[in-house]
Amino acid sequence: MNAAIQVFRKEIIDALRDRKTLLIIALSSLLSVPAMLLVFSKVISDYETRDEQRVILVSGIEAAPQLRNSLERQTYTLREAPADYAQQLREGRLSNPVLAIPADFSTKLAQGEAPVVEIVFDHNNRDARLGVGKLHKLVDGYVSEQAFLLQALRGVAPAGLQTVIVDERDLASIKTGGDFQFTAMLPFLIIIAALSGSIAAAIDTTAGERERGSLESLLMNPVARASLVLGKWGAVACTGMLPVIGSVISCLAARWLIQNETLQSLFQFGILEGILFLFLLVPFAAELAALLMALAVRCKTLKEAQASCSVVIIALSLMPIATVFSPTGDPKWTLWVPGLGQQTLMNHVLKGESLTTVDVLIPVLVSLTLTAVCLIYVARYLKEVAACVLRAAFDGGEADDGVAVYAPEALGVERGFEFFQGAADQPLLVGRHHQGVFVGGLEKIHAVHRHHDDAAVRRGLYSL
Amino acid sequence: MIEVHGVSKRFVQGRGKKARQVQAVTEANFSAADGVITGLLGPNGAGKTTLVRMIAGLIPPDRGRIEVGGMDVAAQPVAARTCMGVLSDARGLYPRLTAEENIVYYGKLHGMSAHDARVRAGELARLLEMEELLGRRTEGFSQGERMKTALARILLHDPSNIILDEPTNGLDVVATRGLRGLLRKLRTEGKCILLSTHIMQEVERLCDTVLVMSRGSIVARGTVPQLLAQTASADFEDAFVDLAFPPNQEVTSTAHGIKP
Repeated sequence: MNAAIQVFRKEIIDALRDRKTLLIIALSSLLSVPAMLLVFSKVISDYETRDEQRVILVSGIEAAPQLRNSLERQTYTLREAPADYAQQLREGRLSNPVLAIPADFSTKLAQGEAPVVEIVFDHNNRDARLGVGKLHKLVDGYVSEQAFLLQALRGVAPAGLQTVIVDERDLASIKTGGDFQFTAMLPFLIIIAALSGSIAAAIDTTAGERERGSLESLLMNPVARASLVLGKWGAVACTGMLPVIGSVISCLAARWLIQNETLQSLFQFGILEGILFLFLLVPFAAELAALLMALAVRCKTLKEAQASCSVVIIALSLMPIATVFSPTGDPKWTLWVPGLGQQTLMNHVLKGESLTTVDVLIPVLVSLTLTAVCLIYVARYLKEVAACVLRAAFDGGEADDGVAVYAPEALGVERGFEFFQGAADQPLLVGRHHQGVFVGGLEKIHAVHRHHDDAAVRRGLYSL
Repeated sequence: MIEVHGVSKRFVQGRGKKARQVQAVTEANFSAADGVITGLLGPNGAGKTTLVRMIAGLIPPDRGRIEVGGMDVAAQPVAARTCMGVLSDARGLYPRLTAEENIVYYGKLHGMSAHDARVRAGELARLLEMEELLGRRTEGFSQGERMKTALARILLHDPSNIILDEPTNGLDVVATRGLRGLLRKLRTEGKCILLSTHIMQEVERLCDTVLVMSRGSIVARGTVPQLLAQTASADFEDAFVDLAFPPNQEVTSTAHGIKP
């Protein structure tokens, strides 16, 4: 156990000295949540301000004084739309739809014909599109008001006009907050933070050690492999947990930073939610660390390991899509999927829905099981690593000191051609070439291969 | 004391149809005594590194038994490693740690206290003339500096069996001489030193007894004068080529009109 602690300490120091990586992790985890909230609070504020302004853009309203009167009675301000409103809407410079009244509005109305009123908007102009429904309702209100008055004049009871009463009842709990699905982004951001924290350390402690050649020396110490793996995993898991804890803290802090009241009511994130998040995420960070290590330990180089680990990044990024098409929200099986289960539950927490103990324990148990499986795999694989290094050396092309000495194919010689180096002051090469053996200095070897690929020979010989 | 009894190791190279077996070490038998520098000499791919890694307990032999300090490496790998110091051919330092941290880390893994490890690291640094290196991060170290650090790291726990794989690779003349001096000093302290190399000068100048390896087998053994006498050569280089590549294979290379 002492050895595991020593390994852990060393790996933590090593990871903390990787300042650049650390800085990126810290900034991304601490700033992403507040940045996201800031953007959303701006969007919601804009929307609300527009709602509060109660402004309607109209064109040719002078033709419809009755309609103007009706709208103004509801405390709306009517503003004449610019002449080129169609152009402006298309270019997104106008953020309200325009109510276009035909010149013959009053005449047609008087004649008992229905005049056509247009609500002009561009489907691609999101802001204008959002105002269409409201405008439609207002005009509809005017239309039914007119119909009501006409019928009343003829002595028809108002109740006869409204045979059916339609009322909306929203079943979502208070926190869900209408159309603003922004809170769904938050768990995803935190999951990615956990990943970004552990990925560098996971690769460095496994494939990095192999690439540097330090793993072999490390394995020659009187330390059980289990201690090595536990120490390394502990360090990687900690670096993964740092951004997670950072994100949760920044969520708590962000509560105080949000100015917008609507958003504040939508984003109910208190101490209790924070603790629940950590309860889900700490085992997840541990699992992620073990999984990334298991992937990276198979790789001989950092580059290879990064490619392997990017599979996890893609998988975690695509996971939320799995539930988008589910009509009933999040199906139960999502809880069993690493990463997805945590996201699902965090979303439930953010929506203020109640969680059962079983719901919470499923992802935690999955995390712990997968951690154990991956760690056993890493420990087993370490045994094979030494042999793997050796096999690579046998594939030729590398001298014992790791310098590329020769490229048999490029030289047109068979594998098995071998030569080696004398002392630094007296270069000597001994080689078996085809069936022959020759001994000689650099010049002689150079002469042998003069009419072959010169660059390859030079690369080989000059590295000696 | 290192004893190797009938050790063999075979690797499978490639996969599927291309797979072929490589006999890395065949029936190796030898013992390296305390207070003696034993040289393991052979060309690249002769199986030296495989043999060293089997002695260090990194890979298990297919057949045979290895004892270090009286302990069976296969049966008690962790205990056997406590009395071993192995300088691997890849020096494998941690670039973000200082030389001292690199050295002390291994001491701690050997169960030393941080204080003891630091004191001993200081002593070794004086011996290896690398005191000014201790506080520096190993990133950007020269080959010689890396070797010194790696050497101090494996000597920290004062092992009685020292195994060095290509220790002079990439070293300049001064550093090589320094290393030789250190190894001779360790020999007088009664350490068992096994030196794997392909550089004949090292063997000639340092080793009390030599094992010549070629294609996985130990093809000759003895002191340098004995090997010279065996091949009736005056030059150790010639003797080595005779031993490593026996004359029946030594056909003149006519492919390019060059005679050896």
